[in-house]
Amino acid sequence: MVMDTDLSLLRLLQLVSPGLPIGMYSYSQGMESAVNDGWIVTVDDAENWLNGLLSEGLARVDAPILARLYDAWSDNDAEAVKHWSQHLIACRETGELRSEDRQTGQALARLLDKLEISEAQAWLRRPDATLATLFSLAAVRWQISKTDAIAGYLWGWLENQVLCAVKLVPLGQVAGQQLLKKLAGKLPVLVQQALALSDDEIGGSVFGLALASSRHEMQYSRLFRS
Amino acid sequence: MFTDMDASNLNSSGCGSGWEARLKLGFVAKNGKTVLAQRDHYGPLTVQRPFYPEGGVCHVYVLHPPGGIVAGDRLSISASAAAESQALITTPAAGKFYRSGGAQASQSVSLNVASHATLEWLPQETIIYEGARLVSTMNIELEAEAGFIGWEVLALGRPASGEGFDSGEATLNWRISRAGQLFYQERLCIDANAFAARWGLNGASACGTLFACPISLAHLEAVQQLIGEHPNRGVTRIDDMLICRAIDARADRLRDFFQQVWQLIRNDIVHRPACAPRIWAT
Repeated sequence: MVMDTDLSLLRLLQLVSPGLPIGMYSYSQGMESAVNDGWIVTVDDAENWLNGLLSEGLARVDAPILARLYDAWSDNDAEAVKHWSQHLIACRETGELRSEDRQTGQALARLLDKLEISEAQAWLRRPDATLATLFSLAAVRWQISKTDAIAGYLWGWLENQVLCAVKLVPLGQVAGQQLLKKLAGKLPVLVQQALALSDDEIGGSVFGLALASSRHEMQYSRLFRS
Repeated sequence: MFTDMDASNLNSSGCGSGWEARLKLGFVAKNGKTVLAQRDHYGPLTVQRPFYPEGGVCHVYVLHPPGGIVAGDRLSISASAAAESQALITTPAAGKFYRSGGAQASQSVSLNVASHATLEWLPQETIIYEGARLVSTMNIELEAEAGFIGWEVLALGRPASGEGFDSGEATLNWRISRAGQLFYQERLCIDANAFAARWGLNGASACGTLFACPISLAHLEAVQQLIGEHPNRGVTRIDDMLICRAIDARADRLRDFFQQVWQLIRNDIVHRPACAPRIWAT
């Protein structure tokens, strides 16, 4: 039997591609200062750092909120979209991390508007536009499943961070791919854990990230915007 | 009116499943001076008579006579600063959360600051013994034009006795709303893993966060200069809220740093130069 290619899979690949023109490559989320301060020196340091951010941060904040945004867009519930977008912004612990989310969110809104998702237009300048807000909109309209959307969002974040590590630590290209493969293996479990969280359980802080991002804001010479 | 909600419960509530204690404070501006107009308490949590070391600003010390929090204890403090009032709350000694055999202790602080009022929440450090289990929640509601400075300094384990934080679990929540809208939320979970990891506290036995608003860009730059090349200290600005973070091997050094930050910014928020409560020096 010949299976049809699943179009929603191709849409997800487009959405998480580093080629998506929303400028993700220019954000390191504190990794630049963590490397500068000597916190991340080896590939093991990079793995531990990313593991912590994934399990303590993204799996407890971004992923469960993305799930709620996905449901809100599915139900055309504008109030819920607004509520969870504002909640996500409130969980960003530094000025730079907030700006990053806003800038990439608004950039994705501009792109989706050109890709015939007209609801994105209202978010071009909204201060509560987050990457997850617009990512979930695209996922719903392109019929990507909720689980795949969350896994894809986490994977996109992870790939970008690994590319940052390759440039900054630096790591070899192969070492970077080995790291990506290893950490990606943890994502399915994290997605399931995130889906099981109740509203009250949402929230997670990574002190080292907040400190590194704060220090990045005053780092003298920078390649990255966060 | 000063009332004792139920002083007779002070002893009986100490049995079995832990102590429950509540304190409710209300500050009101009256003839150019801030008075402690409401002071209700239940259980072992109270305040001393207010001090006025700098004119109209009302300084109060929150006292917790048992001197430490054990498994099952539940402390709750709420304070509200009415329009135009100015209050500073601190503690005469470090807070302590002791080792737990299993049950959780909780502390919840709710602060409400009205328009054109200022509230400073500057407790001494909180010592969290290895093996302690606790949930601490700070709930801050700021009306438009409210001034606020608050900090939390945690000292984990007892490094002087060679104790780290190989067991125990502390969840520390901060939730700040401004003009009725959620502005900031953090939930820091510290266990052995987060204590040791580079993404966590990197084994530093002290960590702290300081919040202050409203602040200007000049304040941010002044604090950045104060930090200079010092590693493990950082500052950010979200709208007009300053957030300063640090880890250190010693809690007293971290407190000194926060006091220096406080001295830089206080005048523009409270409209008075920093006036360190005398109890900090003892």
